[in-house]
Amino acid sequence: MAIKKKRYALVIDSRKCINCKACVVACKAENKVPVGNFRNRINEERKGEYPKLSINFEPEQCHHCADPSCVRVCPTGASWQRKDGIVLVNYDECIGCRYCMVACPYDARYFNEEEGVVDKCTFCSHRVDKGDIPACVETCPSKVRVFGDLEDPTARIHELLSTRRYRVKEPQTGNGPQLYYLL
Amino acid sequence: MHEFNWGLLIVVYLFLGGLSAGLFFAAGLANYLTVDDKPVYAKVARMGALLAPWPVAIGSGLLILDLGNWYRFYKLFLHFRWQSPMSIGSYLLTIFTLIAFVYLFAWLKEDERKWIFSKVPATWKQVHRLNVDISSWREKIAMVGFPFSIGVGIYTGVLLGAVSARPFWNTNLVAQMFLFSALSSGSAALLLAMLLDRKNPIEKHETKFLVTLDVVFISLELFIILPYIIHGQLSSQAVKDALTLILGGPYTVVFWVFFLFLGLLVPLAIEVYELFPSIFKGHEFHGSRRMALTAAGLVLFGGFLLRYIFVYAGQVSSFHRMGLLR
Ligand code: SF4
Ligand code: SF4
Repeated sequence: MAIKKKRYALVIDSRKCINCKACVVACKAENKVPVGNFRNRINEERKGEYPKLSINFEPEQCHHCADPSCVRVCPTGASWQRKDGIVLVNYDECIGCRYCMVACPYDARYFNEEEGVVDKCTFCSHRVDKGDIPACVETCPSKVRVFGDLEDPTARIHELLSTRRYRVKEPQTGNGPQLYYLL
Repeated sequence: MHEFNWGLLIVVYLFLGGLSAGLFFAAGLANYLTVDDKPVYAKVARMGALLAPWPVAIGSGLLILDLGNWYRFYKLFLHFRWQSPMSIGSYLLTIFTLIAFVYLFAWLKEDERKWIFSKVPATWKQVHRLNVDISSWREKIAMVGFPFSIGVGIYTGVLLGAVSARPFWNTNLVAQMFLFSALSSGSAALLLAMLLDRKNPIEKHETKFLVTLDVVFISLELFIILPYIIHGQLSSQAVKDALTLILGGPYTVVFWVFFLFLGLLVPLAIEVYELFPSIFKGHEFHGSRRMALTAAGLVLFGGFLLRYIFVYAGQVSSFHRMGLLR
């Protein structure tokens, strides 16, 4: 059997998000994220005034960019990208210069004060490698998040992106972000 | 709620790196200007050579301390990543610092050299072999060092300019701006050091040389900063938004009043005022000590502020969160 290329991505149906933050909590527990740091967040956007008012919740985390500027600027190669698109930090190589944090247009990274290294969402690569889905995706009660392999024509993510309209955030950064927000 | 990932230590590091580059450049240049094969500015060249390596050495030390894992800094030299300005810069800075120290050594007087080696234990034979007179190499070392000093000056700008995520930085003018600012800080620091050295009082032609050098560099810097703003205003929305940081935003006063006016225009005016009669009216250059001191001090102040404004404002600028500023 030919080895197929993989490209992991996340589709987010933000209209379904109710800001319960279960994903944030699940991520913190799964990845032992230090107090005060977060790997994912819910952006809140309010518009208008009562009674003509709308509020939009938009989950965000590392976009696992196709052409990640964090990887480009890292002087030691600690920030790197796997063949399947997941962008990771090799903690043993990271010197903690924080250049990658400055260079990430989506402010997806945080500095782990205790370890002196930079960290961020890993798409739960440890789970994905076992065939599981990321913790935030698994836990979301309103099924906002769909994780999958863009190269797999049978994946649900493939179907969604073929049939629904979507946007990516700030494509003008040139990073090729891989979080797809359904419209 | 924006936190700064890079703080004051980075500002100081960029400033000191540029300062060394400028010192080396001015000192090297002074070494080349000769009359009848004798350098007319030998004192300037020597002072510059003695000072040049220290700021960058201290700055690099600070940068290493600023790392999350400072003892891992050696990993910078286990990799070469040509796409990372920081990687290229680490090598550039190291080579430049080494050259600057060799250049310093070449400018030591014989008794100074002997004194230093008298402190080295006699059993360290290999070290004592280095006790040679290399003063005849000065010109060659300066020649090799020039491109590296310019490289370091540019690098301090490219480190910021190459970050595509920050519209305030990501223009092709920042590198030159930092370079000319570095060169002007270097000549100002040299002028300041010579003015303060009471044992060898500075001579008029030396003041004139350094002041002229500084006027050239400040003017070049000015003609980069103006296009930076004009060009930014004519650029995409993200860049325009980023520029509001200095056009009405939180960095407006420090940019216009403290940096541009006090740190650039005032010293330029003082220096031009000093030079004018000697250049256009045929008078002798009088070279007031107080004027020169003020101008040199202000240039250094401005050079530091430029780094400060860029490091901080740049990190606030972004493609998506700028709306929060308004
Ligand atoms: S979102 Fe930021 S941290 Fe994540 S891959 Fe893109 S540039 Fe890197
Ligand atoms: S902080 Fe670590 S991962 Fe980020 S650029 Fe520096 S060495 Fe690379």
